[in-house]
Amino acid sequence: MSIDAVAPLDREELRKLLADTIDTDVSEVSDDADFVEALGVDSLMALEVVVVVERKYGIKIAETEMRSVRTLESTYELVHNKLRVAS
Amino acid sequence: MTAAAGATSAEVRATLPHRYPILLVDRVLELGEQEIRAVKAVTFNEPWYAGLGPDPDQEDLAYPPFLLIESWTQTAGVLAKRLAGSEADGQVMLFGSMTGIEFHRPVHPGDVVEHHARLERAVNDTMIFEGVSRVAGEPVLTVGRITMAFRPGEQLNPAAGPATG
Amino acid sequence: MISPVQAVPERLRPLAREEGSESWSGSYSVEISESEPVFAGHYPDFPIFPGVCVMECVRRAAEAETPPPAGKLRLDSVESTRFLSAVHPGDRLAIELNWSPRGEGWRCQAKVATQHGQAATMRLRYLPEAVA
Repeated sequence: MSIDAVAPLDREELRKLLADTIDTDVSEVSDDADFVEALGVDSLMALEVVVVVERKYGIKIAETEMRSVRTLESTYELVHNKLRVAS
Repeated sequence: MTAAAGATSAEVRATLPHRYPILLVDRVLELGEQEIRAVKAVTFNEPWYAGLGPDPDQEDLAYPPFLLIESWTQTAGVLAKRLAGSEADGQVMLFGSMTGIEFHRPVHPGDVVEHHARLERAVNDTMIFEGVSRVAGEPVLTVGRITMAFRPGEQLNPAAGPATG
Repeated sequence: MISPVQAVPERLRPLAREEGSESWSGSYSVEISESEPVFAGHYPDFPIFPGVCVMECVRRAAEAETPPPAGKLRLDSVESTRFLSAVHPGDRLAIELNWSPRGEGWRCQAKVATQHGQAATMRLRYLPEAVA
């Protein structure tokens, strides 16, 4: 699966994607806002965030890596590494 | 999808807790590891048609679109129950959220709706499905994403706090 | 139009345009009586109002009165729905609706609550009747 067919990683776009997926306003999703504590994301929403990020960036997030999907910053790092490794 | 065995109407009824008038899966054609195909025939005898006015037109006879979603979700539910196995015993299957549900064509008495659901992701007791429903090969409903989870029954009492329907 | 829900939404606040914006908002209330037919099968002696029936209540409220500038609309898709708590016989749904123009159609955003708290949020997409 070629990477260029998939969206390039852009922090603000990722912020918007995360905000939409958890039905909250972009302004709420600061770099370090914790999804669970600060934004009230439950286990259902957490899995949705993983699936939406996987679809958008054409990557696979293993169950063990899901723990690092906790803030915009940590999610950005995870996706960034995945794309760097893949390209 | 490998030609997996399906499930008879009796097996469907044994799997799902839903009962008349809202058991909306008639039979499972194929039940694979990650996918399921099932059918729901729509007839004039659906209980909802009791509410029809004296001379309904074709539009009034359209099967309620949100019940198409329910019928599709129950199809996914049969697969979910099978994947969860004994863990799900005594638990209730809850609808968490849904995204990107599109209606393409109304469904009328005489149509046989074929639901196709695919498991996209499962972690612990949470599952995400996507899929499509067709009549005579033509899409009538597409489901972008539906999340479901098994929760102990008592978590649903009003006092119990967050849970879903 | 036939429906799995018998309850008819009661209007609390008529649809009105919000100051200085193209959005319209209003609110409705729906009494979920234990005699709703779906409770018999969802589930026997463990009645929970099905999520799609909560959606049906929102749709009936939305379509009871659409924004005047929108003209005749038809439901095109459910953009998203999130269920937050279960609804039981005897609960009363308070539905807050907010319509806003979106491209060639309109988005109807709904917040549904019962006496126990938030029950669901929804975004419905409507297109003008004429657009195929």
